[in-house]
Amino acid sequence: MAAETSNPPEENESILTSAPRQAVRPFLRVLEGIGSCLRLLLEAARHIPTLPRQFGRFIEQCYLIGYTTLPIVAILSFFIGSVLALQSGYAAANIGPKQFIGLLVGLSMARELGPVMAAVLLAGRVGSAIAAELASMKVYQEIDALETMNIPPARMLVLPRLAAVLAMMPVLTIMSDLVGWFGGAIVAKYTHFISIEPASYFATMRQYMDFGDVLNGLVKAEIFGFAVVLVCCNIGLNTRGGPREIGASVTRAVVTSLILILVLDYFVTKALM
Amino acid sequence: MQNAQQTARVGLFFLLGMALIWVTFETLSGGKILRDKGYQIVAGFDTLKELKEGDDVRMAGVKIGEVAATRLAGRRAEALLRIDTHQVIKEDASAVIITNGLIGTAYVSIDLGSDRAGSLKPGAEIRTRNTPDINEVMAQIGDLGKKLEGALQGISGAFAGDSKSPGLVQRIDQLVTDNRENLSRTTANLQLITDKVNRGEGTLGRLINDPKLHDELVAGVADLRSGAAQAKSFLASAQSLVDEVKSGRGTLGTLVFDQKAGDDLKASLASLRSVSDKISRGEGTLGKLLGDETLLRDMRSLLRKADRALDGMGDSGPLTAVGVVANGLF
Repeated sequence: MAAETSNPPEENESILTSAPRQAVRPFLRVLEGIGSCLRLLLEAARHIPTLPRQFGRFIEQCYLIGYTTLPIVAILSFFIGSVLALQSGYAAANIGPKQFIGLLVGLSMARELGPVMAAVLLAGRVGSAIAAELASMKVYQEIDALETMNIPPARMLVLPRLAAVLAMMPVLTIMSDLVGWFGGAIVAKYTHFISIEPASYFATMRQYMDFGDVLNGLVKAEIFGFAVVLVCCNIGLNTRGGPREIGASVTRAVVTSLILILVLDYFVTKALM
Repeated sequence: MQNAQQTARVGLFFLLGMALIWVTFETLSGGKILRDKGYQIVAGFDTLKELKEGDDVRMAGVKIGEVAATRLAGRRAEALLRIDTHQVIKEDASAVIITNGLIGTAYVSIDLGSDRAGSLKPGAEIRTRNTPDINEVMAQIGDLGKKLEGALQGISGAFAGDSKSPGLVQRIDQLVTDNRENLSRTTANLQLITDKVNRGEGTLGRLINDPKLHDELVAGVADLRSGAAQAKSFLASAQSLVDEVKSGRGTLGTLVFDQKAGDDLKASLASLRSVSDKISRGEGTLGKLLGDETLLRDMRSLLRKADRALDGMGDSGPLTAVGVVANGLF
């Protein structure tokens, strides 16, 4: 098992030493990242039967991923919803159909901004923490120690996090949606050039929205959250070198996660239409 | 302990999230998963317009199902309508596609049908009606606008006129200009008259301003009314009289309507005529009296003699006269 995880970087190093191959290095690194992520995923999936025994760890990760992330998600969603209402109200003020602000905010939050914002905050707050924790464990050879004790890190460190993010993302997303909707309703009522009653704001939302729109957002959030945690675990576990590499890994993990969220967003949205 | 608290928080958090998802689901989709599958009926249209899967099916405005599928079937378009199990659709009910506003949402509206008709079976086809498309209506409104514009142009032409003939406005203007003096005089007179009326001068003024005159007028009208009533009763009696005459009662009636009386009258008139003829011919005593001159002369001389006798009597004194009278009496 130890040989499996340490082999690929060595191989890569041997490949990349030759000069002509320097040009394709970033490309290779992307492929390498995708490959190692998939390997980590498969390995974690192999240990799913051990999940009930790791219930304590699962709960701990749920707490970190869900419970402690909620306040920032709520605050951000509130203002996202508010600003959406404000901007669409500003745009609609000259056209007329102001009652559709409710629908616009509702759909935008449920289908797009709710899941994306939840995932972005997850990457910033949880993804960075995961990458930092696993990178330091790797740098200080705790991972090696685990492997020596025949405890695969995919089982003990990755699987509970992946399970926890799957359980928590829908909760975070629905709260993000609702808080965003209410934020929009408040702004729509108290902004002088919009001033729509919440009843009419929510009526258009109810009339033209379906639970399918919300479900669409929840599915997207699950995919984003899962991808963010997997990528951050992978980058953390693949950190090599000294303590300085920990910081570099965190940066890489967050940047990769953000790019991944937006790229996935397009394809998942298209696939779910 | 801390571990247990953490677990409880996570549990609560998770349950809260699930509850919120459920509430959202119930609010937005009305708990569709738990709903019965209902039954399907088919509605065929020339065109489905904006109708798409998932649109409402409403009866009298109440949602009773939705469009399960849309498809082309030969030369027409069909919509499969899923209706809630407990909703009954009458056989003579008809479906129509309503386009809801300009943004293009549509629903199928089914009317209530008649009370006695049987209910539609699952899978049966409902009657449909085609309504004009919003675009057709818009086109018609456009035509109407053109017509209206033409009509308005005609009206404004009549008002404004053209180079050949002056318009209505011009004519009125000319009329007013030409007759300005007359008009102002008429207005002044009117003013004078209304002033007089206001002051209570003249008949009209008094009529309007004097309560006594009004009372008199009322009394006059009352008199007229009673006179009319009397006239009525008079006419009624005249009528009854005429009726009696008609029925042959009374003298006049007999005279007018009784054949025998008529004959008698004729005979009397005929004999009267013969008498008068005789008289005029101087026949008989009366005829002679009237037609004979000698008789007149005789009468005159006789009267003269009588006069003389009376004079003589006057001379012999009133006693003699009394004696004569007494002689005459006893």
